[in-house]
Amino acid sequence: MKEIKQLMGNIYVSHRAISTIAYQSAVESYGVVGLAAKNIVEGITQVLDKDPMMGVDVKYNGQSIEIDLYIIVEYGTRIKMVAESVSNNVRYRVEKTIGIPVNNVNVHIRGLRVSDPD
Amino acid sequence: MTNEVIIDQKFIDGQGFKRFIESGLTWLRTNQQLVNALNVFPVPDGDTGTNMLLTMQAAYNEIQNSAENNIGVVAQAVAQGALMGARGNSGVILSQIWRGFARALDNEQKMDAKLLALALDKAKSTAYKGVVRPVEGTILTVAKDVAAAALEISEKTDNIEEMLDFVLHAADRSVENTPELLPILKQAGVVDSGGKGYYFILEGFLKLIRGENLESSTTAIIQPITTMDHNNLEEIEEGQDYEVIVDFRPNGPLNLEKFYEDLSEMGTSIQVGEGDGMYRMHIHVPTDNRYLPIDYSMSIGTITKVFIENLMDQMNQKENQADKKLELTPIEPGQIAVVAISPGFGLSKIFASLGAATIVEGGQTMNPSTEEILRAFENLPTDKVVILPNNKNIFLAAQAAKEATVKQVEVLPTKTIPQGLSAMLRLDPFGDFDSVVEEMKEAINEVDTGEITVATRSVEINNVSVNQGEAIALLNSQLICSSKTIESATIELLSKIELDDRERLTFFYGNSISKNEVNQITDTVRKQFPDMELEIHEGGQPHYQFIISIE
Repeated sequence: MKEIKQLMGNIYVSHRAISTIAYQSAVESYGVVGLAAKNIVEGITQVLDKDPMMGVDVKYNGQSIEIDLYIIVEYGTRIKMVAESVSNNVRYRVEKTIGIPVNNVNVHIRGLRVSDPD
Repeated sequence: MTNEVIIDQKFIDGQGFKRFIESGLTWLRTNQQLVNALNVFPVPDGDTGTNMLLTMQAAYNEIQNSAENNIGVVAQAVAQGALMGARGNSGVILSQIWRGFARALDNEQKMDAKLLALALDKAKSTAYKGVVRPVEGTILTVAKDVAAAALEISEKTDNIEEMLDFVLHAADRSVENTPELLPILKQAGVVDSGGKGYYFILEGFLKLIRGENLESSTTAIIQPITTMDHNNLEEIEEGQDYEVIVDFRPNGPLNLEKFYEDLSEMGTSIQVGEGDGMYRMHIHVPTDNRYLPIDYSMSIGTITKVFIENLMDQMNQKENQADKKLELTPIEPGQIAVVAISPGFGLSKIFASLGAATIVEGGQTMNPSTEEILRAFENLPTDKVVILPNNKNIFLAAQAAKEATVKQVEVLPTKTIPQGLSAMLRLDPFGDFDSVVEEMKEAINEVDTGEITVATRSVEINNVSVNQGEAIALLNSQLICSSKTIESATIELLSKIELDDRERLTFFYGNSISKNEVNQITDTVRKQFPDMELEIHEGGQPHYQFIISIE
């Protein structure tokens, strides 16, 4: 739970809300064709309830946010560029909508999807 | 670029396709700044035009020396080159477009209009496959509309020029419609830059078929001609002392052949561009002939604009600049070396004087690549390296350089020049690496950064409404205020900062402001803020009239 101090009372933002924003901006990033489960247990539970936070991990240390993304990338794209742009997109959207600085966005490439073999 | 070779209107082979790619690249280069100017932030920030251009350049490099006639093979090489050289988000999408395009041409010897339509369609579907949730109002939408138009017209014609003409009109409408689909574009008052870039590539194809000039932009006629860029001029050949550019409207139809012939008696490097009945001619002439092209143009039409540049003098100046070498600090084995990224020569000199081991040029619009940063420190005789990116856009490239080396590298999160300089002051090259890094990191937050620049377009951000051409002030990269003049923006910025516990302002002025203006503005600052100590240095950075360090 993150807290933003205001003059009249506080605003609390849950990990889940942040994950959802990160997830949405990740799937809109070019080159990202899916997010992958972080581990088997998550894989099972999330298949069951189609979680909008799958493949997103959010940590908060009291000052800034750190986000881990587990993504699947389209085969045949320049992966480094895709990773850079998803990281930029997610950071921008989270910082803009929540107003808490994002310290790190770590992008883990969990696999490639081959839609058309060359 | 020679336009004499006639392109077959029905069949295009490998060599023909090579010329298409070359023309798309050339036309995109001509219009690069126009695409760059479509960024969705008032400061020149992202650089879609440059990214797409570098991607196209990489694609063309793959085929430049190829004599292959099979179009399938050439297209495959283009796709490969684009993939390897993809820069930025728009570059990645463009590489997917070429990948799809190439796949449709697999095993084909030549391309006719039907196949071109299929290839554009395949390009669209491949591009769309690269993302879970495509955002409309981007280059993807333009690729989609282009494909639909191509398929539609392919039912009616087998002439490639007619097809491209029809497709280009569709692309134009599609680009103009992007703000309706993507609110952020509408808010910023621009069309999508990637879509516009794709449009220019296709327009380059059509211009090739029509034998039109690709080097001078038709839109440039309404822009000031002084934007001509001669930075990549290597040396001046004999008889090229002056560059003369004349815009004119001919009296009656212009006999181009005779025109070229007459011009070639006066000088060399002749280029003629046309747009809306206006002509622009460009020529290099020896000193004695410098007025001839003007008199000549006047004899055949009405001159609207003349531009003369002394190339000789420009060359001399450039040589002088090259003479101003940086005095970098030599590094002994085991010492801590600092690599600083600097956007201007003046700032480079300051970093060097503070003990930087190497300087990499780069800044807001031209980000250095990972390789450039890596090269800067790989050959230093030490394995302890600190990198100061001095811009948030360069941080990632610097991080990548860190991961690509075995040396012990720390990238400090300096987002601005003053932060970098502040960190630099704490450098102890003989100290323990970790504690020196800690020290330098601490120093970053001890300084505030003010930046003054001119908005490249009208926009509203942070409740500050900005009109194109107005001066804007940023404090620690956040837009603070906009104002009619550089001076008032500077004063307004400083008056918004708590200056009680601050004692020094250091102004680094950029290359887009004159020394007189600098003196005038700093005098005003001195009067308004008499308690502050003022220092003024030449920074030489582009775009930013002032970078201000507030300590």
